[in-house]
Amino acid sequence: MNRPEQQNSSIDLNQFNQVFFEECAEHLAEMEQILISLADAAPDSEQLNAIFRAAHSIKGGAGIFGFQDMTVVTHVLESLLDQIRNNEIPFTTAMIDLFLEAGDVIAMQLAGHRDGCEVRQEAIDQIRTRLRQVIDGEMTTAPVAVDITAAANSACLHADGGPRFYELLFTPAPDIFKRGVRLENLFSELEDLGELTATAQPTISAGLDENLDPEICTTCWKLTLVTTASEADLRDIFEFVADENQLKVRQIVSPQAAPIQAAAPGSAPPSPADSTQNAPCGTALIQAQLGRRAYDKNELAPGAYGRRGGEGEATIRVGVAKVDQLINQVGELVITQLMVAQTAASLDPVLYENLHRSLLQLERTTRDLQQSVMSIRLVPISIVFSRFPRMVRELAAKLGKQVELKTIGDSTELDKGLIEKITDPLTHLVRNCMDHALETPDTRIAAGKDASGTITLRASQIGGRIVIDVIDDGAGLNRAKILCKAAERGIPASDSMSDEEVWQLIFAPGFSTAEAVTDISGRGVGMDVVLRNVQSIGGRVQIISEQGKGTRVTVSLPLTLAILDGLSVAVGSEKFIIPLNSITESLQPLADSLKSVNGKRVIHVRGEYIPIVPLHELFHLKTSVTEPEKGILVLVDVDGEKAAVLVDTLLDEHQVVIKSIETNYRKVAGTAGATILGDGRVALILDVASLLEMRKSSAFAQ
Amino acid sequence: MQSVHETANNNQMGLPSEYLTFTLGNEEYGIDILKVQEIRGYDTVTHIANAPEFIKGVINLRGVIVPIVDMRIKFKVGEPTYHEFTVVIIMNVLDRVIGMVVDGVSDVVALAPEQIRPTPEMGAALDTHYITGLGTVNDQMLILVDIEKLMSSEEMQIIDHSN
Repeated sequence: MNRPEQQNSSIDLNQFNQVFFEECAEHLAEMEQILISLADAAPDSEQLNAIFRAAHSIKGGAGIFGFQDMTVVTHVLESLLDQIRNNEIPFTTAMIDLFLEAGDVIAMQLAGHRDGCEVRQEAIDQIRTRLRQVIDGEMTTAPVAVDITAAANSACLHADGGPRFYELLFTPAPDIFKRGVRLENLFSELEDLGELTATAQPTISAGLDENLDPEICTTCWKLTLVTTASEADLRDIFEFVADENQLKVRQIVSPQAAPIQAAAPGSAPPSPADSTQNAPCGTALIQAQLGRRAYDKNELAPGAYGRRGGEGEATIRVGVAKVDQLINQVGELVITQLMVAQTAASLDPVLYENLHRSLLQLERTTRDLQQSVMSIRLVPISIVFSRFPRMVRELAAKLGKQVELKTIGDSTELDKGLIEKITDPLTHLVRNCMDHALETPDTRIAAGKDASGTITLRASQIGGRIVIDVIDDGAGLNRAKILCKAAERGIPASDSMSDEEVWQLIFAPGFSTAEAVTDISGRGVGMDVVLRNVQSIGGRVQIISEQGKGTRVTVSLPLTLAILDGLSVAVGSEKFIIPLNSITESLQPLADSLKSVNGKRVIHVRGEYIPIVPLHELFHLKTSVTEPEKGILVLVDVDGEKAAVLVDTLLDEHQVVIKSIETNYRKVAGTAGATILGDGRVALILDVASLLEMRKSSAFAQ
Repeated sequence: MQSVHETANNNQMGLPSEYLTFTLGNEEYGIDILKVQEIRGYDTVTHIANAPEFIKGVINLRGVIVPIVDMRIKFKVGEPTYHEFTVVIIMNVLDRVIGMVVDGVSDVVALAPEQIRPTPEMGAALDTHYITGLGTVNDQMLILVDIEKLMSSEEMQIIDHSN
């Protein structure tokens, strides 16, 4: 019986590895995001430190988890970054690309360990050599000149009212504590002025003994302060605390020293602190401070206990499975609460007033709890958007196009599961824009447009759905070309089709109008995959295009995969949930509003003829209500397509937890999952779009 | 998958494996006990649209949607009646939870490898394809079923084979 235990321990190790993989991927993404955001400018020390931290963490993690090969590249990268950080090597824009490539190599190694992907050793060796070369100073010297001007500029700034360095020697009177002076307040006031370091020295020469009076101050403080404030300001703070002879203030640097040092060839832009390095006296302390690793700096700050600096909000890394379990359990709680409420509803409201009041409270609390728990899974779409700037930048360079990428609504939140699944389709769409839609600068100028094309990614929440638009101002779709290509590929199409129908043709498998197949796109595997992926998560794709002006592809997704507002309806003995966001209205039809077209029944509502979809026919259910005038018609609208679903009666409106049928069974046509009703029974949730599809295919079959 | 190995191992090592036995019509069947999660009574099921007749529908098993298969309908044995004594075996197969309606659950028996005989070609309700062997317990024949293979088969229509 040792076997299971062994298995457990190996699983555990894998779990740790998994954590490393996740962290490593996050660090890589962070690094890339910073590099891209630089947009060819030199990074500030904060950004440089963040990149360094990322590389350092990857290296550390790789070492701990025994992925020695991953430490090789990260080590060289880290050394280089460290030298840049310490201004030993000037930063050049060429390094951005180099770092990006290094990131790719590390990502490749990561994928190799995680998914068993192929790892190309020569790429690893190559990037290592190139990083080495930079460290060994084989970079061109040209960018240094730029750095010097920058340095001079910053040095000039520094001279006019930049921060100054003070050394304060504070020897308080022995009775200072008895006077009720609080030194910590004093120091925090100084800290408000600038960067403060304090060193305490005991003034008694004898060792500590029992006679030591804790109320007598036997310490003097040596303080260094970097501030723009004047000496008088500093003395003000000590006004009621220290006499003239108890406080000595000394300014320790002459600002003029800075420009001379900064102008030295090959030196990088100095931070104000740097300029003190050659100053004659009193700099040892400051230098020592500079030598500390930058990420240690915030470690002593309040709230930073045990954390590295630069990490903004406090977060906890929790496995998705745990969150899902929580969501499930809360779902169960909601169901139980409903069951209790249903039972209690039959009790006399006067006799059981307290019970009813408590139940109302319980309902509110469970709803709130459910909302909070659901929101755990929501993440901002910027996670997806952030990967596009780099892709666009690289593709634009490859294709010789000028492209500007705009993102709107980065903070729109959607379910983590959706984020993972929407990434690939969006990548396809952006690639398509780059390759097919946007023209080269010459063509654009000839067409009277700006040489640089624009791709806009826009995310927003509209009702119960997340809508993501990929908009370009390129050439637009070519109707004639698409029809011609469709005919060539044997895809059924005709000239009489509306524009919308023609645009839908590009979703057909194997369809591509690109004249040349490039390594970016053109193999025609794009759009059908996009459509399939989006549909698999309950989304829809819509295209609006105008020739010469551009194209807008709209992907609309459900807000979350886990919860839904629905209307419960009954057909025979079965109950179904219709998603509320697809319902426009419900009505009891009058006999004279019902018409027949080609033997199919339609209902006439406010000037529109809407086809009737009898649910019992589609699902082969037994019910006494087979005629529309005896039942209820639920008017639904899915992306402009309307239908009237015939059901027996309407029951109630619920917020339901979506459960997958597919976990234990297979996909059921016409449904988007199942839920558990207040009585503990299962009800299927209807997928209106797929219902309409069913109706069409059954109509064709007849 | 672990339990499969364990059973196989036990067999190789000559140790007895345990089987849950149930009746379908006049025949006695056995499935690996490690595949069984629980046994419960038959509850109201929710009908699934356009599913084959032997898939009775889905139930709510403590928040999990579980499909229920009636083997009596599938293999045309016994009487598909539903009352308080109707038994559903909830199984864990292929990382799924599936319920199976049978005529009755009888016992748990341990069978050593030497008690299991290979299957002759014969006309059991189940295709011999899914039968791993025949056991003998108290002079009664027990048909041992590879329930994982059966449930994943195309004819059960539980798993989507189109993808």
